[in-house]
Amino acid sequence: MKTDKTFYEKYLDKVCILLIKVEDIILVALLTVMITMSFLQIFLRNIFGAGIVWNDLLIRIIVLWIGLVGAMVASRKGEHISISIVSNFLTEKAKAVSNCIVDIFTATVCTVAAYYSLLFVKMEFTSGDVAFHSIPSWICESIIPVAFFVIALRYTILFFRNFSKLMKLTK
Amino acid sequence: MILFAFALIILVVALLGAPLFSIILAIALLGFYYLDINLSVIAIEIYRISDMPLLLALPLFTFSGYLLGESQTSKRLLKLTQAIIGWMPNGLAIVAFIACAFFTAFTGASGVTIVALGGLLYPSLIKAGYHEKFSIALVTTSGSLGILFPPSLPLILYGIIAQQLQLGKNVTIDALFLAGIFPGILMIISLSIWSYWTNRKCNIPLIPFSYKRAIIASKEAIWEIPLPIFLLYGIYSGFLAISELAAVTAMYVIVVEVFIYKEIEILQLFAIMRKSMVMVGGILIIISVSLASTNFLIDAEVPMMMFQFIKAHVSDKIVFLMFLNILLLLIGAVLDIFSALVIMVPLILPVAVSYGIDPVHLGIIFIANMQIGYFTPPVGMDLFIASYRFKKPITELYSATVPFMIILFAVVLIITYWPALSLVLL
Repeated sequence: MKTDKTFYEKYLDKVCILLIKVEDIILVALLTVMITMSFLQIFLRNIFGAGIVWNDLLIRIIVLWIGLVGAMVASRKGEHISISIVSNFLTEKAKAVSNCIVDIFTATVCTVAAYYSLLFVKMEFTSGDVAFHSIPSWICESIIPVAFFVIALRYTILFFRNFSKLMKLTK
Repeated sequence: MILFAFALIILVVALLGAPLFSIILAIALLGFYYLDINLSVIAIEIYRISDMPLLLALPLFTFSGYLLGESQTSKRLLKLTQAIIGWMPNGLAIVAFIACAFFTAFTGASGVTIVALGGLLYPSLIKAGYHEKFSIALVTTSGSLGILFPPSLPLILYGIIAQQLQLGKNVTIDALFLAGIFPGILMIISLSIWSYWTNRKCNIPLIPFSYKRAIIASKEAIWEIPLPIFLLYGIYSGFLAISELAAVTAMYVIVVEVFIYKEIEILQLFAIMRKSMVMVGGILIIISVSLASTNFLIDAEVPMMMFQFIKAHVSDKIVFLMFLNILLLLIGAVLDIFSALVIMVPLILPVAVSYGIDPVHLGIIFIANMQIGYFTPPVGMDLFIASYRFKKPITELYSATVPFMIILFAVVLIITYWPALSLVLL
């Protein structure tokens, strides 16, 4: 089945796999930096009585990044926390319909959030605020629109998948 | 009219199983739109996550818990508890309660206790002669027992949310951890008494205490024994902040499991890091969007209206607490603990405080109630995990866990109406 893919489709698949790997690596790297830096800070504070001034802020921004990148990864298969009272009692077909509705809803909400947080980041970019050391605020905040954009994209893809599943079921 | 239509849409998709964060986000966006506030405020609210230093504890403790869950810690913990208290009558059941409570506290009630410890306990309970129904109920409910003990993540999250509300009274994590001890112990004692009663005719053989076995088990777990001691000492002496304790714990667990016991390969470590952070991401995004929705609710004076409504209908503290118990039981049956905390605490806590309920006490009531929600049908997470792990139909688990539910609910009532049990150590 996979052999009849064109060169471009294969290329696209490879890019997708690469992007997923990059996302995973970023997530693991963020946690590694967080553990190392927070441990280092305690070490410095208790042994030498002094720490890196901007370290605490860096760690707190990493918490935000971990949260949002983690949420991006969780969206790959739609593994977000939800209230699943009704879905347990639906038939296969009704479930596919409800999944389509849910996917399109999530994608829309995230697109709106991505757009308005992008405006916010743009505002911060022009203001030129500095978050810590020499890192501008807008870089730290940029993950917010990116995350919502990626989540919106993933739920759009999930929508198309569920939609084609629904089409198959109705046939 | 349009507002009503939107609200209806949100309600319907919520029931259909839309991600909770998208529901909360939609409510916040809609709310700010109607209050004529620039929607970019959403990003500012979400960015407030980085203003909450305590939150650091969440990814760090979750990661440590996942790592402990994937290594052989559960085996060593079980062997050690068995060697120390297995000689008591009905010893194995008590061992099971204590070991599970320990493991759940450290791994954050993610169900890993059922998989890692339950998998070992269930066959040994059957072999020792305990009732089948009792044994399966024990391992199912074990997934949330111990949630009141440090370093329980739900308690930390409750503290973080309570601190955001500016009640005029500081709710420290240390106070919550102190308050959870006696209620948690009461749960273990009550369940132990029940297990003694229900298995009294099973002729379970007594196992004599052996110094040799205790020493061997202690030697095996020598690198892990310092961990709870260090954590408890750290929390109750206050020599390190909670987030610092979480950092040291994470580092220590990596060193012990990867480099000393060598049970986790480096590549496996990365996989665990990824897995645990996806779970953290799912929780953090709900917390971050709820910062926005909570602010909208406060702007729209919803807690105030709720407060007036409740005050008009409920005059008495005891009646309020009764309603609270029932409400939390229902919420626990349909929402997972983290979402329930994020959504309900900002609404309930201010009302509860006005009835003269201590915020720390409310935290213990809340979490203890939610603990039962883990195995309440239809969506209790522990039921699904246990059903999957032990290949039992979920309906069988519904009926098997009923006695445990009754006992734990009785304990919740004691916790609710006897504040001193929680607050005596403060």
